[in-house]
Amino acid sequence: MKKRKVMMSLMLSAAMLAGMLTGCGNSSAPAATEATTATETTAATDAEEGAAAGAELAYSGEITMMHYSTSEESQGNGGSDGFRTMIANWKEAHPDIDLNETVLANDDYKPQIATLAAAGDLPDVFLLQGMNTKAWAEQGLIMDMTDIIKDSPYYSDYNQAYFTPFTDGDKIYGLPALTGGTCTVVVYDKAAWKEAGFDTFPTTWEDVKKADEYFKANGYTDTIAFGNGSKWQANSCFLSVIGDRFTGPDWFQSIIDKGGAAFTDDEFVQALQFTQDIFASGVFNEDFNAITNEDAREYYISGDAAAFVGGNWDVSYIGATLLETDPDLYANTGFAALPQPEGATGSTNSQNIGLGYAIALNPKLADDPDKLAAAIDLAYYLTGPAFSTYVGENYALAGLTKTANVDLSAFDQYTQDFYDFSYVSTTPCEIYDSYVNSAVWDVVNTEMQSMLNGDTTAQNVAEKAQEAYEANY
Amino acid sequence: MLSKKPKATTTFGYLIVPVALYTFAVFIPLLVAVYYSFFEWKGGPNKTFIGLENYATLLHDTVFWQSFGHNLYLVLLCVIGQVGIAFIFVMVISTRFVKLKGIHRTLGFFPSTISAVAIGYIWMMIYDSRRGILNWFLEAIGQGDKTQVWLNNPKLVMTLVAIPLIWQYIGYYMLILLSATSAIDKEIIESAELDGANAVQRAIHVVLPMVKSTVAVCIVLCVSGNMKAFDNIFVMTEGGPGNASMVMAMYGYKISFAQQNMGYGSAISVGIFVLGMLVVGGMQLIPKLFAKKEA
Repeated sequence: MKKRKVMMSLMLSAAMLAGMLTGCGNSSAPAATEATTATETTAATDAEEGAAAGAELAYSGEITMMHYSTSEESQGNGGSDGFRTMIANWKEAHPDIDLNETVLANDDYKPQIATLAAAGDLPDVFLLQGMNTKAWAEQGLIMDMTDIIKDSPYYSDYNQAYFTPFTDGDKIYGLPALTGGTCTVVVYDKAAWKEAGFDTFPTTWEDVKKADEYFKANGYTDTIAFGNGSKWQANSCFLSVIGDRFTGPDWFQSIIDKGGAAFTDDEFVQALQFTQDIFASGVFNEDFNAITNEDAREYYISGDAAAFVGGNWDVSYIGATLLETDPDLYANTGFAALPQPEGATGSTNSQNIGLGYAIALNPKLADDPDKLAAAIDLAYYLTGPAFSTYVGENYALAGLTKTANVDLSAFDQYTQDFYDFSYVSTTPCEIYDSYVNSAVWDVVNTEMQSMLNGDTTAQNVAEKAQEAYEANY
Repeated sequence: MLSKKPKATTTFGYLIVPVALYTFAVFIPLLVAVYYSFFEWKGGPNKTFIGLENYATLLHDTVFWQSFGHNLYLVLLCVIGQVGIAFIFVMVISTRFVKLKGIHRTLGFFPSTISAVAIGYIWMMIYDSRRGILNWFLEAIGQGDKTQVWLNNPKLVMTLVAIPLIWQYIGYYMLILLSATSAIDKEIIESAELDGANAVQRAIHVVLPMVKSTVAVCIVLCVSGNMKAFDNIFVMTEGGPGNASMVMAMYGYKISFAQQNMGYGSAISVGIFVLGMLVVGGMQLIPKLFAKKEA
């Protein structure tokens, strides 16, 4: 009898232990994450704090939220800083609501949120990546926010183009968040290119090749630095724009809508072929496939390369670093769109810009109207005029909500020039991997890395891409 | 009281805790993966039962089999590199000419205490085409034309990512083999020496047969460890260029999390498990075959 009791208690404790562990696994805030609590204080800003406090919210209790604006990321990254500041303001205005944040670095955020989605265990409020929209909407993981967006007090000020990646049919699933930044910009040393005989960055690749001869003969290791070590860079920061130049925007829209366009269409294959040829021509650093964009931008910062191609995240890093280490190069740095490939018939100065993530809501919120109202209020606030004004005044960046003319005079030339490049003097085009889905882009990125080494052909990459597109989208 | 042998139930009670943990952390996930592998499941609550379709795809998935080939190559290099070099080091350290044996042991073991991710970064710096010590060394000895972007060479990349792994674990196997050789009676070695056997002969004909079973354990550990290689390769190349350094575990990770195809990812995990068992089982058969020949 006693023996059985001991056994029983042992089994029970084993079951309890297992239960505890399972409980950990299912919780939306794993131990390794940085869970910021309401006790964190951020200096209140002069941005319109009242906007959040305006509506009295009936809800009191917990709202879970997941995002990737870590405190490290917010150093120098205007979008992150603005996002964190707005969250802090909102918390302060709603002391009854316990906003429980899980904040991860972007690289960790993506697999984590995908895992939670797979488990059907998403937090109340989170950031949705454009390319997941259709699949997650189909699975019922994200709330249809079409009416919520139309009811927004800031609706008339929203930049409507930013909603596209988060739209499926006529339904919208998120309020685009953070700041709109280009994914493809040429950062170049104006003085060096002037010496090479170009007052501004060349508009054709032929001229870039001519400059390449000059630079190689005059002590530069590289003409243009680029890093594709993580495989996504050649897609996000090059092909997405070169593709637009060859195919025009309608082709990609048709890919998104499954309207008949194919990756094997001639124009797209030409864009791939051009990409292969230009990387083989030697105007880029020879180790581009083995290093990341973080390494490549150091080639520009150190003066080894006369130019660099990357995204807005690189521009803010280069700016912050040069300001300390090389003020001359900082003052001489200019921005340009990619030159036009020969044979391309599309826009000549397009660059891919957009908001890659949107604030999405968990459909389970609909069970509690008060909680839903609070989450909607938070989403409005984080993407509203207070945020846009904050990032505009402090960083010369723009978000979803348009603000009246931003006064740029307080900013230095570097910041003003980049604002001009991003929002004024270029034609926007789509960021490929904000759309379709990761299964397709993962194949494209991997195959393209081999193609840039000359180990496979453009036609082959196009066929593999089409295969993945048909199988997964 | 203290010296009394514990009751069977007490022993059993203490032992069931690790067994329960092991079951929870290894067996249950494996069974769950087998279950999920029968579904088309692209994340989210919706799963469609598709029977063995994922396995049919797996059989024809060239990238998966290419990755399996890379794993086998890695196993081959690491068995020779890790266990082989460790054995040589043990033989050298146990000679009486080597002083400060303790320091050799400690420093030799040191790399296996470093995280594979950190090791990946260290070796990336060594291979770096501009600032790396490897290209610098080649320049210095007048072989400048042999410098290259090492990790971008699809033919060499698997060997290059294996070198850090070999370097890291030599000390680990060295320690296991040292403990085995130290158990050999010194008189045996001395009498072999008196009979005129040189160091190589002593190592092969005297020491090796006596530590045979320990070497076999080392090889099994080495094989199973390398069938699930992931971290340092992920840091160094992410499987690139293209799929030139893709290994099975990384492919499973990519399909499950980068491509969000959990059903097929589960099928890949099961595939890794089955192939891993087959390879480890196959390795254990080899000594038996030798044993038969001898008999």
